[in-house]
Amino acid sequence: MQRAGIAALLFSVLVTVLAFQGLIGFGHGGADWSLLSDRYYQSVLLFSLKQASLSALLSLLLAWPLARALYYRPQLPARRGFLSLCVLAFVMPTLVLITGLVALLGRNGLLSPLLGEQWNLYGLNGILIAHVYLNLPFAVRVMLQQLQHIPDSSWQLAAQLKLSRWQRLRLIEWPTLKPAVLVLFGFVFVLCFNSFAVVLALGGGPRATTLEVAIYQALKYDFNIPEALTLAWSQLLIAGSLFLLLSRWGRSHWLSVDTLQRQWIPQPNQPMKLIHAMVYAAGWLLLLLPIVALLPGVLEVDMARFGWSALLRPTLVSLVVGLLAAGGAMLLAYLMLTPVRQAHLKRQRKRALLLEWLSTHALVAPAMVVSVGLYILLLRQIDLDRWGMLFVVLLNMLMVVPFAVQQLRPRLLQYDAQYHRLCRALKLSGRQRLRLEWPFLRPAFIASFALILVLAIGDLAIFAIFGNEQWTTLPWLIYSYAGSYRIAEASLASLLLLLLCALIVWAFERIRLDA
Amino acid sequence: MLEIDNLRVKQGAAELHYNLRALPGELLAIQGRSGVGKSTLLHAIAGFLPVAGGDIRWKGRSLLKLTVEQRPVSLLFQDHNLFEHINVWHNLRLGMPAEQSPEPLHQAAEVLQVTELLQRKPSELSGGQRQRIGLIRALLRPEPIVLLDEPFAELDPQTRQLAAEWSRATAKNGHKTLLLVTHQDEDVERVADRALQL
Repeated sequence: MQRAGIAALLFSVLVTVLAFQGLIGFGHGGADWSLLSDRYYQSVLLFSLKQASLSALLSLLLAWPLARALYYRPQLPARRGFLSLCVLAFVMPTLVLITGLVALLGRNGLLSPLLGEQWNLYGLNGILIAHVYLNLPFAVRVMLQQLQHIPDSSWQLAAQLKLSRWQRLRLIEWPTLKPAVLVLFGFVFVLCFNSFAVVLALGGGPRATTLEVAIYQALKYDFNIPEALTLAWSQLLIAGSLFLLLSRWGRSHWLSVDTLQRQWIPQPNQPMKLIHAMVYAAGWLLLLLPIVALLPGVLEVDMARFGWSALLRPTLVSLVVGLLAAGGAMLLAYLMLTPVRQAHLKRQRKRALLLEWLSTHALVAPAMVVSVGLYILLLRQIDLDRWGMLFVVLLNMLMVVPFAVQQLRPRLLQYDAQYHRLCRALKLSGRQRLRLEWPFLRPAFIASFALILVLAIGDLAIFAIFGNEQWTTLPWLIYSYAGSYRIAEASLASLLLLLLCALIVWAFERIRLDA
Repeated sequence: MLEIDNLRVKQGAAELHYNLRALPGELLAIQGRSGVGKSTLLHAIAGFLPVAGGDIRWKGRSLLKLTVEQRPVSLLFQDHNLFEHINVWHNLRLGMPAEQSPEPLHQAAEVLQVTELLQRKPSELSGGQRQRIGLIRALLRPEPIVLLDEPFAELDPQTRQLAAEWSRATAKNGHKTLLLVTHQDEDVERVADRALQL
């Protein structure tokens, strides 16, 4: 198992190294470091940092009151539905969100007349709105999870000591949230720093471009490989260092669902209850509006004459690609975590940190570089028209592995901390250990599988490079509709993709709760 | 015979020294003030702690080179003896050979008054109930050396007597060498053949 784990890690690292090698080899040289003093490079870097910091800050600031409302008012109507919607929003295919946001806040958007003449969705505004939409729900769930770890006894003691609201916030809530907030900020920052589709669609020219988009532009328009490499190394260095720091700082429970049932939570007073209810309603509104905005477009489609069969095959292809990629990613993540667990058990902190970083490095490696680099490398070796879809599955699998690792790792480390000695003392065989581990791991496994399945189904970037028309996926179909100004059809296909994702999230939440 | 010769185990900056002999089938109580290293000794014998020097032998053969899984030892930890996500019966069967009859487990559960708990999850059990489940498994596993780390600490006086007497009878019947860490003199009287003060 240990060897299989190391092999899995090496495989994932090898793909990244080969991709870089592909670009370096094709460009007959390395990066162009003179670019570092170039104004364009500096403005791109500054904008990447600025939008990522603001996105992370806003997501967390807005998530906090929402998490508190959900924590203090467990009886809020449709609370579980809201938490499922949070998962859906976090993994929502970017293309669907962008279609929704344009329908809502674009030039002819439903709400645009209310925002005045000066309003412009494109640029920093749109990027921040989309990033907050994608990451706020994630932050809500992590913060809520963290708050639910406050033991009843702390609240009872606080009540007994008659602590004020401020004292409770300072002495109980904040110390519980603090470690998660720091890690959460970093994680959201990294996601936004590496953001591609949102910035590509909503960015406003050179003044609103991130490193990832600049890499894409360098490759697509100029085929300037030294420039692309300089940008890629910069991104890898900044996002990678930050991610390494995050791994050191601490642990978070990510998207695992609130399982702890609290017996005793302080009851907020009447005005506070009203504030919580208003915040909660605002949360629903925020998450639902871009989805609802798709409906008017859909209504424009002539349903009777619409070629529904055109949607069927791409839907099936997306599902199959998603299932294969997610299944492979789960296996890979589990195997990669074997040496990580061993290192933790042997208290080899540095080794554990390195292995964890390697297992999640795909999160910080520029996806565009990995895809294009590999494409260039393989172009001369393999018939990519024939085998391209295999690489769509493979690269999607590698891209979602970090999410699976992030979800499985805390659960497996917890299992080891609790039971490793007991397993050894009982002299259990490898098979017995796996059979015992599975029921413990199952809820995290199911939640994680649903999450990465939806992420893989929503892929557009990898398909854009390796895919072909014969095996069109649903996101690519939406992109094609939008590209040929068939906005109504694009809205309909977006809604279908969203429904598919919602169905997966809902079904897996049901299975997980029954497990 | 279990022989512990000049065993040295590091605990932080301090180094603990042990010497003891226990015959096959002998029941030995280990006593001493808190922090003296009673649990450390059991963990070293089971193979969970690295040894700085000396030797642990069973029937003349050194155990030091053996992994935890290879040592002829059944250890009951002070706590965390049960998997929380599986039921009590499943927990009891762990560490037993597949061909072993479940009858002794049922009988022990009957004697220690935990029969009605077998289908429950450990989280539904009290501390004392959990200890009795762990005790049954530790003593019925087919290992010649049994190490019990404060196994009766959470039991009421009546159940404590019952568990102590059952432990002695089972260990004697199985001809097991038993090391029992306890603070209570009454446990020594009920279970052990002799006591060792660390």
